[in-house]
Amino acid sequence: MTLSSPNKTISRRNFLITTGWLAAGTTMLSSCSGLLPALPTTADPELDDSLAWIQILPDGRIRFYCPRMEMGQGAALGLTQVVAEELNVGASDIDCILPDTNELPAFKMTVGSESIANFFTPVSYGAARLRETLRAAAAKKFGISLSQVKDGNNGFILADGTPVGYGALVPADPEILLAQVSSPSSTEPPQYAHSRKGQFKAIGQAWDHPETLNIVTGQTIYSRDVKVPNMVFGQVLRAPAFGARLQHADGRMAQTVPGVIAVIIDTESGFVGLVADNPFILTAALEKIDVQWDLPSGLNQDGIDAGLDVETLRLKDGFEHTLDESGSLSGGRKSAKFTVTARYDTSFAAHAAMEPRAGVAWVQKNQVDIWCGSQAPYFVQRRIAKALGRSESEVVVHTHRVGGGFGGRLPCQASEEAALLSAAVNRPVRVQWPREAEFQNNYLQPGFSHFINAGIRADGTLSHWDHDFVSSPIITGLVPKNIAWIVDKLVADDGTARGGLSQYNVINRRTRYADIRTPVPIAAWRGLGAGPNAFAIESMTDELAHAAKVDPLEFRLKNLPPESSRLANVLRRVGKISNWGAASPDGTGRGITCAVYKGLTPVAIVADVHVDQASGDIRVTNIWCVQDCGLVVNPDQVENQVMGNIIWGCSMALKERLTINEGAVVENNFDLYEILRHNEVPKMVIELVDAPDAPPGPAGESALGPVAPAIANAVFAATGQRVRRLPIRYNNTHTGTLNQGGG
Amino acid sequence: MNLSINKNSIAVPAQLLDATLLSFIRDHLGLNGTKFGCGKGLCGACTVHIDGMAMRSCQVAVGDVIGQNITTIEGLAGTTETGALHPVQKAWIEDSVPQCGYCQPGQIMTAAALLARNANPTEDEIRDEMSSNLCRCGTYGRIQRAIARAAKEV
Repeated sequence: MTLSSPNKTISRRNFLITTGWLAAGTTMLSSCSGLLPALPTTADPELDDSLAWIQILPDGRIRFYCPRMEMGQGAALGLTQVVAEELNVGASDIDCILPDTNELPAFKMTVGSESIANFFTPVSYGAARLRETLRAAAAKKFGISLSQVKDGNNGFILADGTPVGYGALVPADPEILLAQVSSPSSTEPPQYAHSRKGQFKAIGQAWDHPETLNIVTGQTIYSRDVKVPNMVFGQVLRAPAFGARLQHADGRMAQTVPGVIAVIIDTESGFVGLVADNPFILTAALEKIDVQWDLPSGLNQDGIDAGLDVETLRLKDGFEHTLDESGSLSGGRKSAKFTVTARYDTSFAAHAAMEPRAGVAWVQKNQVDIWCGSQAPYFVQRRIAKALGRSESEVVVHTHRVGGGFGGRLPCQASEEAALLSAAVNRPVRVQWPREAEFQNNYLQPGFSHFINAGIRADGTLSHWDHDFVSSPIITGLVPKNIAWIVDKLVADDGTARGGLSQYNVINRRTRYADIRTPVPIAAWRGLGAGPNAFAIESMTDELAHAAKVDPLEFRLKNLPPESSRLANVLRRVGKISNWGAASPDGTGRGITCAVYKGLTPVAIVADVHVDQASGDIRVTNIWCVQDCGLVVNPDQVENQVMGNIIWGCSMALKERLTINEGAVVENNFDLYEILRHNEVPKMVIELVDAPDAPPGPAGESALGPVAPAIANAVFAATGQRVRRLPIRYNNTHTGTLNQGGG
Repeated sequence: MNLSINKNSIAVPAQLLDATLLSFIRDHLGLNGTKFGCGKGLCGACTVHIDGMAMRSCQVAVGDVIGQNITTIEGLAGTTETGALHPVQKAWIEDSVPQCGYCQPGQIMTAAALLARNANPTEDEIRDEMSSNLCRCGTYGRIQRAIARAAKEV
């Protein structure tokens, strides 16, 4: 198996004619004939969409155009294993290709840990249809019935024991295309990905990732590594602050620098860029552009935070979305033996993926070619078409592996800049963002502010749960301002509210939420609201258990609703493998948490921390994680994702905070925006629940939510001081206490 | 005005003496395995070996390494006697380390330099040595495991 970005310039028409392929059925033709419809890329896949994804070549090899982008989550490998399961082939028989936008009809952007959960069944269906089409071809060729054609390896076995490879069933004539292949039958094909439970051949195996060899030898081509013949080099002066407006720019001095091809300035749209025949002079030439910006006045973090302050909003009763409401809060309060009221806040944050984005654009008369890595290539296509005033069908996005996505790589602004420059100079132009642009010129994770008042009855059950929170719309974060107010009025942002409902059994409850837009751009960040919301809910749950003097694990199990057996199971398992209840040495503490990602994947975490009172150092020493994401297609890849979530959760708990000063991101490189490092990594024990009968659930970011509150609860266990703001800072210079101010 | 990159003698044009070694490697020589991450020596994605030492190529001017021997990720396998993959690269594959993979060439170069200097590092020595190489996907645990595995082979 190879996972590659092969020759990206071949046209689709050429491709069809020269390589030859056999369709899974006649519907393939209709799927492909409307190539590049302007479909929204937010639609979930339909079963028939999959017929365009899987092909067989005349040599019997399987070509799988994976309808997902790869950014290290391993989805393409997992889905390749699903294809292999259906077609009875091995890893070496499949070429998995990340498609360009002209190679497949638009498919949903790669977000939200959906790649296995939502594409498992369609991919299985498409591959099964291909298999049954081939079976019908075998039956016809040998004049026997379908039932006499049994599954073999990379082919079939006839009734007399003769093996027939798939390749022998594919027309060798490359001109024979889809329409000449008839649909096998009107019945739906059996999907082995569903029917072979417990007897899988490819699913459930820890197949090696085919890209690893290229990665460790430096051969993988990311956006920043793209080279196109005749390419020249562009760079752009981007707004130095959110809300900055270009007042004036003069490029005459830059134009005189040897090697500069053009300086392009559009004051109205705020675009200032230049193109040079070599990349070495870009920085010096840019410095020669005389540019003046109108900077926003007073756009500071304090003001932004004040707009997202839950207590202020409670005074105004400003929560326009009620996410759930039942029973009677006042009645619940009366029945409470203990009541706890607290607010919890999390910080603004950046994606800080290791690859700063880049793109190459070649704007020609009849076609626009874009080379970039994105989680949403059809979104890139649409944005480029709009920026250039061209039709979407003229724009081809050649996709590349993304050097870290985490929600931050939906648009590829570097490609848009390259396209504007290429249109001006009639050459392919490369634009690469510096690190600081990643922080300043993309979008952010918003801060969250929660208020919870909750109580427990004498019998240890929850009496009530009164929960209000505020943050900024995430999923609709990129909606233009002029229509945003309508969107916000109509719907609560599902992304911001993700994981916002307590998973515990409480009749008297109300959860309200306010969507407040901020003056800084906001959109997806790993897990969206799941991390911040779990921090609030699971911190309060811990506070309640402590108030009632009940063990936090027992408290959770007691208060889970009866239908939450999978969640109860991961809690019990994490208690068992962590030896929960054992005494902690001085200076150390343990915390436990759980959450259900998107209502589908239960995860439980136990964290151990060590707090050095003298130095103020807070160290996470151990994390145990039990995750039940249903059927696991590739346990090795899922474990790697869970580890990534644990590291990200530690980073969120202890490190990450982004602030704005006069519209500019203060922490705009890794000296100030700190993420977790090698020497801070806890020991990790990860258990994936063996659940072959459950459908595959979200796996890629499910474990993130409960990590930070487990650490916060562990800090409380170690110090007796409750953490209600992330990141956790130990401020021994002022008060010797855990700083509730966060800054 | 030559330097050696992956055992090839490379002439440096006078106008590129002030360029960073990273941009020289990537844009002049077209070797793309060495990555740009931060431009300030903060993340380790651009790590190469200069006379065997792990260095941040974004912080080194080409003119300052004239006459020196530089190894990039593309040349690391060539530093072994057989030309086969370096033990660190093999361990990375064995432990299925990468996620997005972008930081991994830098991680591997730092790890290989560590093992060349200290064939049997302790767990803490590995963690400390690697702590200036950042990974956002969170592959640190597998990296540390792979280095310990490679140490047995070096």
